[in-house]
Amino acid sequence: MPRIFINGHPVEAEKGQTVLQAALAHGFFIPYFCWHPALSVSGNCRICAVEVEGEDLDIACNMPVREGMRVLTDSEAVQAWRKRMMQFITLNHPVDCGICDKAGECTLQDYHYEYNGEPSVSREPKVHATKFFRLSARVLIDNERCILCSRCVRFTHEVSRSRALGIQNRADSSLVRASEDGRFEDDPYSDNVIDLCPVGALFSPSLLYRHRVWYLQATPSVCPGCARGCTVRIWHRRPDWALHALDGRQNEAIARVTPRENPAVNGPWICNKGRDLARIFERPRATQAMLKGEPVALGTAVDAARRLLEGARRPVALVSNWGSNEELEAFQRALGGRVRAFVKEDFSPAPGEPVEDDLLIRADKNPNTAAARALFGDAPPAFEDGTDLLLVWGEGLDFSRLPTRVPIICLNAYLQPENGHADVFLPVSVQTERAGHYTNFQGVVSAFEPCFAKRDSVAHAESLFAALASPPGPSP
Amino acid sequence: MKHLIPECEALKARLPQGFESTLVLPCLRRVQEERGYVADGDIDALAQYLGVPRVQIEEVLSFYTQFRRQPIGRWHLQACHNVSCSLRGAGSLLDRLRERLGIEPGQTTPDGRFTLSTVECLGSCGTAPVLVVNEVYHESMTPEKLDALLEGLE
Ligand code: SF4
Ligand code: SF4
Ligand code: FES
Ligand code: FES
Repeated sequence: MPRIFINGHPVEAEKGQTVLQAALAHGFFIPYFCWHPALSVSGNCRICAVEVEGEDLDIACNMPVREGMRVLTDSEAVQAWRKRMMQFITLNHPVDCGICDKAGECTLQDYHYEYNGEPSVSREPKVHATKFFRLSARVLIDNERCILCSRCVRFTHEVSRSRALGIQNRADSSLVRASEDGRFEDDPYSDNVIDLCPVGALFSPSLLYRHRVWYLQATPSVCPGCARGCTVRIWHRRPDWALHALDGRQNEAIARVTPRENPAVNGPWICNKGRDLARIFERPRATQAMLKGEPVALGTAVDAARRLLEGARRPVALVSNWGSNEELEAFQRALGGRVRAFVKEDFSPAPGEPVEDDLLIRADKNPNTAAARALFGDAPPAFEDGTDLLLVWGEGLDFSRLPTRVPIICLNAYLQPENGHADVFLPVSVQTERAGHYTNFQGVVSAFEPCFAKRDSVAHAESLFAALASPPGPSP
Repeated sequence: MKHLIPECEALKARLPQGFESTLVLPCLRRVQEERGYVADGDIDALAQYLGVPRVQIEEVLSFYTQFRRQPIGRWHLQACHNVSCSLRGAGSLLDRLRERLGIEPGQTTPDGRFTLSTVECLGSCGTAPVLVVNEVYHESMTPEKLDALLEGLE
């Protein structure tokens, strides 16, 4: 363990570390653009330079620690270097923060205030380049904002391995471009480059001009898109900045989803499906309890379900593998002794969806199969003769595959044609309206928190199961 | 580029596996030597042969200005216009070339005989100004030497 000195403080560095890594690990900040902990060292932005006493300045991201070295991260020479580098990097930058989605979380903006703070030194007209250039349907680039750090290019070479991005031309005419063979379009991890970009050069058409990040709040969550269960942040309008004049639905909409770094599950990445959780959670919702398709109050429907359960001798339940650990346990506690339960797959791979790869994506497109199977086994649903009640929790089940003339109690969060065919239909909450945990295929348990309030006409499945187990009668 | 494959295979054999992208540059050079320029079809063929994405070939092509994407004339005249050559008369040499050929740098004469280019330092400042004709350096050029030279180029 080489001992080095950073600004005079002794630091035990690890063998093989760079000065940048050792400094960051011990709370000394050194700025960096092109370096990223999960990518190779490129060393092109030169902002991370430090002074080694008795030597010249050099970049910290590519400087191995050496026993006894004395590093200065903030000497006058370093400050002057950083300022010059910032001036160089911004020579042709359009400084259009006012209309840039990255403003508020942009490294260039932060470093400018921290290390430069002065107008451009260039008296030449700025070099113009393409704006809103389409790298794929999901990722646009403003080449004027690009500082050519090459993080996005390295990501496609080293992480997603599509090798879909490259830099064409030279010097101030350099342009990040996607391979003409369309492979960036097919890269299921492409949107990670948007987070990776230290500036606002890469952006998503789905977010463009819609939000200022300081009006958004990030709620920790878990992607239910497959059995990996990547930990994510779901961004939505801050309650203290709720919109009153405009469409109120914007206060309850998912603005974007970003990875929540997690070495045990997904590292710093997620796949594009995880970015599109709004497509799952913002499908039309079922908000009305029903008896054979006729709207009734939630309490009435619960009571009807209790009666059915009480009178049934051989009830079978199909349990959702989108239920949280808490919901599954609540089901087991309340009804486990009374019904024969099977795990139901709510989702299978959609046509055209990447099924499985060796990075993150898993073939099981449900978040909690592991926990559901641990409680209810992995036998496929079977309906013995004499089955006289079916409880169907969740979606993805074709009712025509169920035994005929058996009453059905159905719990679903989304508006689907089956709902009206159930004898009793109970609308339930979705993941973004409650807290809970999922257990991924490796057995790692991750927590999610609520982003939005649940409507009164909708129930949390967790409390519903206890209510269903109590004897019929007026609701408590 | 099919007939170049044995040559490329020989190059490949000298590299460890997984270094196919290293071969982009030498293969492109051979393609250009043979055809005189790099055609769209060459890019596709090379991408397929090396198994690299097209963008990696475009990167190399667009980085090195020495690569040409269009056919050129029989005689490629490359006039250096960097500092030493400019100080020693590259400007008037270029004017003479424009006047004699009736084209601007970057253009080819309609009869397909000459292509004119300006280039940066050719590493021959001691004998500036320099004009390269195809592969041959013509040093310490003067307008008179240029006239005599052009006469000899069919
Ligand atoms: S687009 Fe962003 S990540 Fe890619 S090279 Fe430019 S600045 Fe870096
Ligand atoms: S890999 Fe699976 S869990 Fe992770 S973001 Fe993609 S769909 Fe979601
Ligand atoms: S972070 Fe070290 S050179 Fe870019
Ligand atoms: S400047 Fe022309 S050869 Fe060097």
